[in-house]
Amino acid sequence: MVYDILYFNKHHTSYTIHHTPYTTHHTPHTPYIIHQDFKTMADKLFYFLSFLALLSAMMVVTAKNPIHSVLYLILTFFCLSGHYVLLNAQFVAVVNIIVYAGAIMVLFLFVIMFLNLKQDDEEAKTNLTKIAATIVGGTLGVILVAVFRKAQLGTYNPYSFNSQVGMVENLGEVLYNDYLLPFELASVLFLIAMVGAVMLAKREVGDRHF
Amino acid sequence: MLSIILLSIFGIVVLFLGFQKSKNILLPATLLCIAIAFAANFVHWNDAPGLYFKEMLFENRLTMSFSAIVLLSAFLVVALTRGFADDEAAQPAEYYAIILFSLVGAIMMIGFDNLIMLFLGVEILSVSMYVLTGSDKRNLRSNEAALKYFLMGAFATGIMLFGIALLYGATGSFNLTDIRGYVGTNSFSISTLLYVGLLLVLIGMLFKVSAAPFHFWTPDVYDGAPTVFTAFMSTIVKTAGFAAIYRLLSGSFEGIYNFWWFTLAAITILTLVVGNITAVYQQSFKRMMAYSSISHAGYLLLSLTAMTAQTPDAIVFYSLAYSLATVSAFGVLMAVAREKSVQSHENAEDFEAFNGLGKRNPLLAFVLTVSMLSLAGIPLTAGFWGKFFIFGTIVERGNLIWMLIVAILMSAVGIYYYFKVIIATYMKDGETGALRVPPFYRIVLIVSTTLTLLFGLIPKLLS
Amino acid sequence: MNLLLLIPLLPLVGFLINGIGFKHIPKSLVGVIGSVGPVVAFILSIYAFGAFRAGNNAPVIIQLFDWITVGTLNISFSFQIDQLSLLMLLVVTGVGSLIHIYSIGYMSHDAGFGKFFAFLNLFLFFMLLLVMGSNYVIMFIGWEGVGLCSYLLIGFWNKVTNYNNAARKAFIMNRIGDLGFLLGIFLIIQTFGTVEYLPVFEKAVGMSVGDSAIAAITLLLFVGAMGKSAQIPLYTWLPDAMAGPTPVSALIHAATMVTAGIYMVVRSNVLYALAPDTLEIVAIIGLATALMAASIGLFQNDIKKVLAYSTVSQLGYMFMALGVAAYSSAMFHVITHAFFKALLFLGAGSVIHAMSDEQDIRNMGGLRKKLPITFLTFLIATIAISGIPPFAGFFSKDEILAHVYEHNKLMWALGVLGSIMTSFYMFRLLFLTFFGDFRGTHEQAHHLHESPISMTLPLMVLAVLSVVGGFMNVPHVLGGHSALATFMDPLFANAQRANPALFEHGHLDHSTEYLLMGVSVGAALLAMGAAYVLFISKKNVPAADGQESGLQKVIYNKYYVDEFYEAIFVNPMRKLSDALYSFGEFIVDGLVKGAGGLVKLSSGQLRQLQTGETGFYVFAMVVGITALLLWNFGAIIFK
Repeated sequence: MVYDILYFNKHHTSYTIHHTPYTTHHTPHTPYIIHQDFKTMADKLFYFLSFLALLSAMMVVTAKNPIHSVLYLILTFFCLSGHYVLLNAQFVAVVNIIVYAGAIMVLFLFVIMFLNLKQDDEEAKTNLTKIAATIVGGTLGVILVAVFRKAQLGTYNPYSFNSQVGMVENLGEVLYNDYLLPFELASVLFLIAMVGAVMLAKREVGDRHF
Repeated sequence: MLSIILLSIFGIVVLFLGFQKSKNILLPATLLCIAIAFAANFVHWNDAPGLYFKEMLFENRLTMSFSAIVLLSAFLVVALTRGFADDEAAQPAEYYAIILFSLVGAIMMIGFDNLIMLFLGVEILSVSMYVLTGSDKRNLRSNEAALKYFLMGAFATGIMLFGIALLYGATGSFNLTDIRGYVGTNSFSISTLLYVGLLLVLIGMLFKVSAAPFHFWTPDVYDGAPTVFTAFMSTIVKTAGFAAIYRLLSGSFEGIYNFWWFTLAAITILTLVVGNITAVYQQSFKRMMAYSSISHAGYLLLSLTAMTAQTPDAIVFYSLAYSLATVSAFGVLMAVAREKSVQSHENAEDFEAFNGLGKRNPLLAFVLTVSMLSLAGIPLTAGFWGKFFIFGTIVERGNLIWMLIVAILMSAVGIYYYFKVIIATYMKDGETGALRVPPFYRIVLIVSTTLTLLFGLIPKLLS
Repeated sequence: MNLLLLIPLLPLVGFLINGIGFKHIPKSLVGVIGSVGPVVAFILSIYAFGAFRAGNNAPVIIQLFDWITVGTLNISFSFQIDQLSLLMLLVVTGVGSLIHIYSIGYMSHDAGFGKFFAFLNLFLFFMLLLVMGSNYVIMFIGWEGVGLCSYLLIGFWNKVTNYNNAARKAFIMNRIGDLGFLLGIFLIIQTFGTVEYLPVFEKAVGMSVGDSAIAAITLLLFVGAMGKSAQIPLYTWLPDAMAGPTPVSALIHAATMVTAGIYMVVRSNVLYALAPDTLEIVAIIGLATALMAASIGLFQNDIKKVLAYSTVSQLGYMFMALGVAAYSSAMFHVITHAFFKALLFLGAGSVIHAMSDEQDIRNMGGLRKKLPITFLTFLIATIAISGIPPFAGFFSKDEILAHVYEHNKLMWALGVLGSIMTSFYMFRLLFLTFFGDFRGTHEQAHHLHESPISMTLPLMVLAVLSVVGGFMNVPHVLGGHSALATFMDPLFANAQRANPALFEHGHLDHSTEYLLMGVSVGAALLAMGAAYVLFISKKNVPAADGQESGLQKVIYNKYYVDEFYEAIFVNPMRKLSDALYSFGEFIVDGLVKGAGGLVKLSSGQLRQLQTGETGFYVFAMVVGITALLLWNFGAIIFK
C-alpha cells in the first residue's frame, strides 16, 4: 500500500543549489556561482565531524571505565557544537559547550568519582544478547540510511540566507515572541525534575506504604 | 488554555504550602486547585475553536472534553491519596505539586498545535511519572520500576524527538497546520523523511500509551509503582496520550491515511491479543490491570485506525468510561491492600485479597463489580457504550470488519479475567470481619461508580 | 399505557430492595418482596393483553427517551407492545411468578436467600427488557443482562469449584454467540441505518429474496441464538448450567432465557423470510440438535441432566419449526414447553428436596407414595412432553411435525425418531424415580416427605396449564380455530409480503394430518411401552458409572463433545497464553528472580542487573521498530 503514494525524485542530490526563478526580491542578473572551494571544505568538515561524533558516541557506550565514558561524551558534544556552527547556529554551539561539555559533564565526573564505581562490575548481558542487539541495531541503522539516501531533501535558497539567524538577538526574539509559551513551560519541566530529584534523594526516616 | 497557566501557578503555590507545619491543608488545597482548573477549562467553551500563544495551543470542544476527563480523573485519584497525610515521612506537598505540574503536561499534549508543545508536554508528564513511580523510596520494586520506566521512557522520547526532527526536515515547520498544508499540496512528492518521521513520532507516542510491542515496561512499572500512582498513570497518561495521537493524525496526516492505517492496524491487533491473553494468567490484580490497560489501549487504537467522523466522540467516551472504572478498581484495591499490608506483606495485591469481600464490605464489592463489568463492556455500564461506539467507528470505516471480529473475540477473553475478580469477591471465602473504609474514600468510590452506571444508562449525557 | 412501564420496573425495584438490604430484611419478608414484583407484573401483563385485544391489534410503541445519537443513527429507549412481546410477557411473568413462589419454599434453608431473590428479580428485569424493547440494542442489553444473571445464579452455590467453572463456561460460550449478535446488529445499522424493529422490517420488505446482506445478518443473529438457546455447536454449557439451584434451572434454563433465541428469530421473521438459505441451516441445526440431545438424554442418570438434554432437544424442535417458517408453531411450542418443562424441573426440585440433595435416579425409586402431588404433576408433565393427547405437548409438537412434513419428509421422519427418544427417556426417568423399590440410603428413606404448599402450589398450577395449554391453538382438523396462530398472524404480514413463496405450500389434507398424528402418538406410546417393559417389568437399573460399553459409552459421555472442544479450542488457547506468558513473564522475570538474590546483596550490582533486563525490553522495542520500518519502506530499500 506504500507503493502508490511514495514518490522519489531520482535526479536529486543533496547540496545542489537550485537556481530559483521565483525569488522576486533581488533577482541577480548573473547566475549565482557556487563557491566550489567552500562547498567541498564544508563537506569535508561535515563528514569529519560526523565520523568523530559517531565514533566517540560508540566509545561512550563501549568504554569499560565510566570516566572514559564521560570524556568521550564531552568529545561528542564538541563535535555536535561543530555541527551547530556549520548549521549557522553559533549561539547554540557556544551554549552547548559551556553548559553541557562544561558544567554538566563536570558534575557527572564528580558524581562518578564520588561513587567510586569499580570497573570490574559483572557483565549482566550474555554474548548472545550482545550479538542479537548488534544485529538488530545494525539492521535498523542500515534501513534508516537506505531510506534517507533516497529521500527528497528540502532545498536551500541562498537569497534568503541570513548569516545572523543563529545569533543571540534573533534567537531571543523568536523565543520571546513565537515560542513564548513552550519556553516558559520548559521551566515547569525543569522544576519537576528538580523537585523530583530532591525528593528522591532526600534522606528520611521511617517506612511508608500506600 | 487558562487551566495550563493556573495549574502551573497552583503547583508552585502547593510547593510553598508544604512549608507549613500542618500538612492537613494540602489535600483540600490540591483538590480545590484541580476543581478551579476544571472550571477554567470550560471558559472558552462558547468561542471555541481557537488558537492561542502564536499558534502554540489549540482549543476546541474536543480538547476541552479530553482535558475535562483528565482533570476529573486527577480529582478522583488525588482524593484517594489520603494516606500521605498520615505518614510523617511522606512529602505530600511535593507529590501534589508534581501531580499538578503533570496535568500541565497532559493538557499540553491534548491541545498542542506545535510539535514542540507535544514534546514538552510528553516530557513534563513522563518526568512526573518517573518521579512518582519511584516515590516509595524504601520499596525495592518501586525503585526498580522507576529506573526501568525512566530508561525506557528516555529511549522512546529519543525516538520521538528524532521523528519530530525528520518532520521538520521534510516540511520546514513544527506547526500542525503547516504540516497539513505540506501534505495536502505535495500529495505526489511527499518526502520520505516525512513518512519516517511520522512513523517514529507514532512509535514514541505508542510507547507512552503502552501499545505492543512497546508495552514491556507497563506491567513492571504498574506493579512497582505505589497503587495510587498506578491509577494516576493508567488513566491520565493514557487519555492524554490518545488525545495527542488523535490530534497528530487528524490534525496533520489525514491526507496520507493510506500510509499509516495498516501500521496502526497491525499494532492494534498485536496489542489486543497480547494484552488480553497475557492478562488471563496473572495472579496479581495489579499486573492484571496493567495488561488490561494494554488491551484497552488496543480498543482505543481500533478507533484511531478507523479514523472516521465519529472517532473523537468514541475516544472521549471510551477514555471517560475506562478512567472511571479504573479509578474505582484501584480505589478498592488500595482499601483492601492497605489493611492487608498491615498484617503481612505477602501477596497484598493478589486476587486472593478480594476473597470474601462481598461479605466484608458490600459497598466495596459492588464498586469493584461495577468497575469490572464496565471494563469488560457489559451493558448498562459506561464501558459497554464505550466499546459500542468504538466498534461503531470500525463498522463505519467498512473494510476493517476483520479487526472488529478480533476485537470482539478478545473482549470475550477479557470477560475471563475480569470475572475472576468478581468470583473472588462474591464466591470465595476469605477473611471475615468487616472492612472499614474512611467516609471520604467511600464518597469517591460512590461518585465514580454512579457516573459509570449513569453513563451506562444514559450515554447521551455526554453529548 | 404507562402502567406497562411498571412491568419491568417492579422486578428491578425488588432487586434493589433485596440486593441492597438483604442483610437487614427478615427472611420472611424477602420472599414476599421478591415475589410481589413478578406477580403484579403478571397481572399488569394480563391487563395489557386485554387492552391490546380491545384495541386494533397494531403494535404500540412506548417512547421513553432518546438514548444515543451518533451521527445519523438514533437509538431510543422505547418499548414495543405487540402480539409477540405480549405472549412472551405473559409466559415470563406468569411462569416467573410461580417459580418465585416456589423458591420461597425451596431456598428457605439457604444462607443466601436474599441474594438469591435479588438475582432472580434482576434476571426477570433483564428478560422483560429483552422481550419488550423496540430495537435490537435494547434486546441486546437484555440479552447480555440475562446472561450475566444466569452466570451469577449458576455459580450461586459457589463453594464448589466445578460450579464456578460451569458458570464461566456458560458465560463464555454465550459471549461467543454474542459476538455473532453484535456483529449482526452492526450490520443491521450499516444496511438499514436504524435498529428499530418497525423501520428495519419496513425497509426489508423492499429487498430481494436471497440478498447477501440479509443472509449475513440472519446468519450472525442465528449465531447469537445458538449461544443463548444452546444449539449445536454451542450447547454444552446448558447441561453444565444445572449446577445452579433448581428454580434457576426451571426459570432460566428451561422456560425463559433459553427461548430468547427463538424470540429473536421470530422477531426478525421478515429478515429470515428473505434468507431461505439461512432458514435451511436453522432447520438442519435444529434437527441435529434435537436428535443428538435426545440420544444423550437416553442414558443420563442425573435427574436434572436428563431434563437439561431434554430442554436442548426441545429447543432443537423449535428451531426446526423456525427453519420451515412455521413461526407461530415455534412460539406455541415455546409456551407449552415453558409450562411442562418448568413443571418437570420444579418437580425434580421437589424430589431433590425430599431426597436431601440426591440427584442420581439410580438411587431413587418408588417415590410416588411418599410424594403424591409431585408424582402426579410429574406424570402429567411427562405425558405432555411425550406428545400424548390431549395434553399440551401433543398439540404443539404435532403442529411442528406437520409443518416439517410439508417441508421435507426425511426431516419429519427424523423428527418422529426424536420424539420416540423423548418419550422413552422421559418415561424412563419417571419410572426409575417414582416406581419400583426405593434404592437410596436408609437415612434418605427416613427423611422423605412431600414438599410444603408454597412448592406444590406452583406444581399444581403448572400441571393444569400443561393439561389445558394445548387448547389455545387447536388445529382446524380437530375442530379448533388455531386461535394462537390467528392471533399472531399480523406479525408475519410483512414476511408474507416480502417472500410470498415461502408461505405457499399445499395444505395437507385432513386424512394425511390424521395419519401424521397417529404415527407420532403411536410412536410415543410405543416408546413408553418399551420403557415400561425395561424399567418396571424387568426392573432394570442403569449400570454404575464406567460400566457402559460400546455405543452406549460414547453416548453416556455426551459424544465426547466437551473433550473435543477442550482439545481443539481450549488447549491451544491455553498454550498460546502460556507461551506469551513465558515470553513476557518467565524469561524476563526469570532474569529478575534468578538475579533476585544478588539484588539484595549489593545495590551497586542492582543497577547493572536492571540495565540488563531493561536491555531486553529495549531490544524488543528496537525489533518492533525495525519490523515496522522494514514493512513500510522495504519497497524503497530493495527497489
